[in-house]
Amino acid sequence: MAYAFDFSAVLEYREALLAGTGRTLMLTGIGAVAGLVLGTAGAVSRAWRLAPFDRIFAVYVELIRNTPFLVQLFFIFFGLPSLGVQMDEWQAAILAVVINLGAYSTEIIRAGIEATPRGQIEAAQSLAMTRRQIFFHVVLPPALAKVWPAICSQVVIVMLGTSVCSQIAAEELTFAANFIQSRNFRAFETYFVVTAMYFLLAVGVRQVLALTGQRLLGRRSK
Amino acid sequence: MSDIELSDIVRNLLGGAAWTLGLSLTAFVLGGLAGLAVLFARIARNPLPRRLAQAYIEVFQGTPLLMQLFIIFFGSSLIGLEIPPWLAAALGLTLFTSAYLGEIWRGCVEAIPKGQWEASASLAMSHVEQMRHVILPQALRIAIAPTVGFSVQVVKGTAVTSIIGFVELTKTGSMLANATFQPFLVFGLVALGYFALCYPLSAYSRMLERKIHGSRAH
Amino acid sequence: MALVRIEALHKHFGSNHVLRGIDLDIEEGQVIALIGRSGSGKSTLLRTINGLESFDDGSIEVDGEHIRPQGTDLRALRMKVGMIFQQFNLFPHLTAGQNVMLATRIVRKMGDDAARDLAKSMLLKVGLQEKFDAYPDQLSGGQQQRVAIARALAMQPRVLLCDEITSALDPELVNEVLAVVKNLAAEGMTLIMVTHEMRFAREVGDKLVFMYQGRIHESGDPQTLFANPQTPELAGFIGSIN
Repeated sequence: MAYAFDFSAVLEYREALLAGTGRTLMLTGIGAVAGLVLGTAGAVSRAWRLAPFDRIFAVYVELIRNTPFLVQLFFIFFGLPSLGVQMDEWQAAILAVVINLGAYSTEIIRAGIEATPRGQIEAAQSLAMTRRQIFFHVVLPPALAKVWPAICSQVVIVMLGTSVCSQIAAEELTFAANFIQSRNFRAFETYFVVTAMYFLLAVGVRQVLALTGQRLLGRRSK
Repeated sequence: MSDIELSDIVRNLLGGAAWTLGLSLTAFVLGGLAGLAVLFARIARNPLPRRLAQAYIEVFQGTPLLMQLFIIFFGSSLIGLEIPPWLAAALGLTLFTSAYLGEIWRGCVEAIPKGQWEASASLAMSHVEQMRHVILPQALRIAIAPTVGFSVQVVKGTAVTSIIGFVELTKTGSMLANATFQPFLVFGLVALGYFALCYPLSAYSRMLERKIHGSRAH
Repeated sequence: MALVRIEALHKHFGSNHVLRGIDLDIEEGQVIALIGRSGSGKSTLLRTINGLESFDDGSIEVDGEHIRPQGTDLRALRMKVGMIFQQFNLFPHLTAGQNVMLATRIVRKMGDDAARDLAKSMLLKVGLQEKFDAYPDQLSGGQQQRVAIARALAMQPRVLLCDEITSALDPELVNEVLAVVKNLAAEGMTLIMVTHEMRFAREVGDKLVFMYQGRIHESGDPQTLFANPQTPELAGFIGSIN
């Protein structure tokens, strides 16, 4: 094979790679925090059957889970401005990530809530706790702990999915890769290095989330 | 405003949706077959295939699908094969699907209680006989719902292949949005198209799940 | 010549020395009751006899089949040693009849008709001939355990291992299972039972083996030992059970 690999042509651009990595992490971080808050609200509405929010969240979850993230992103970035909602590529990317993760975490957290053993609630009721107290002290913490591994996986999936945000010119890691390979004409090496970076990011984000889960939710989450 | 009619838009999108459907089916069927190989390697008693399968799964689950497609697309041209976008798309999604299905199915095999292995071992069955007669029939039952559920991820994954130039539903939508200056309508319809493909699969998967949890174990 | 001969058996789980030199001979037709607190090693000992647990040192011989720490012909061994589990472990995707037939067909290579006839007679033996086509989840715990006994018997083992086979049963279902075991004992089946049913051990057992901290602490005739334990540990154990 005549081709000579040249990875140094990629590493010359390490500043662009680092900047892209930082933005990918930022997008993931904001998306994860806001998405989980949204997901918890959705899960509560669904589990408590809070009309009309339970219905709204049910429709929202189905719409998001049954359409591709890329199409959601295009709809928000290209479609919404025609309704007069203007936003830049980062606002669109963040909104898309939050909406996407919010839908998945609604379902994940709801499953955790609904898996609460009846006896737990009955025990809390017989201690004269209110509905709200029962939810926040007895139901939610173990529910989150139980589904934390699923949440971690979903956050990693969303982070990898942000790769398509390059398509609306949000300058995250994949955008950096596209830029670099257009300059050094080393497409394979560039994408190979960036793929490896995503892999390391996925491993790292998973670790951080697992540790966060241990801190926040106690020993039960793995 | 453009002079492209709504009916033209819909007709073009349906054409794109057909390619989305075709690619999804190809990737799901071929990925399922490859996924069986991944499964058997992943649960082999020999540690070498087990580790290789584990690494394969981790790579595909730990990197973006878009990067996988880029590497296949540009990697194949490195070795002198100029492959068209549809082939890169089909190959990429097949590998992606095989990794996920292999892992889903491994979970199903491992969900079979240890007592089933011990009881069949006590009846002097070999490893292959245990698999064939006791473990796999039970694993198959619990695998159907998550497998159907994953098919939704495959359909949605095909959207990413638009980025390497495969003209399916999303790519058709992008081109139409540019031509008509009606992105809200076009991407709304594109989303509707995916929803029409995916929602029945999601609903069916949920129904199967309920049936398994609610009914007897045979 | 003993049917089962266990000599100087040692096993570790990590740093935990669970079997510390077990010597035990079991004659054909004997009913052995293995008793002791949880963690005393009785279940582990039982499971080494058909190779579900490995061991580190010593030897086990069952009807001429040697079990070694490495490289045992487990298939030949397990053709001779049947086992019944606390959790029944019936195959949920097969009917009671199919559960009994499966191994006779694929391991003993019996024809379908012969396997079916054998399965019917085995289910008859445990009093469940009418449940041939029932699935496990349509049966009570006691019935499931009796099917599990029929399944093990269909392999025509020389020895039957019983691992706390009534512990997962509701109290009112215990006796139907014990009655089946009692019949087997009367027919001369060699039985090695880990059990908490002390009355049953005393009535049906030929030999009581009390395990304590990975060793056989005391063994002998059940009537005598129950009436007259020689060690304070066995006396304490009997006291705590009753």
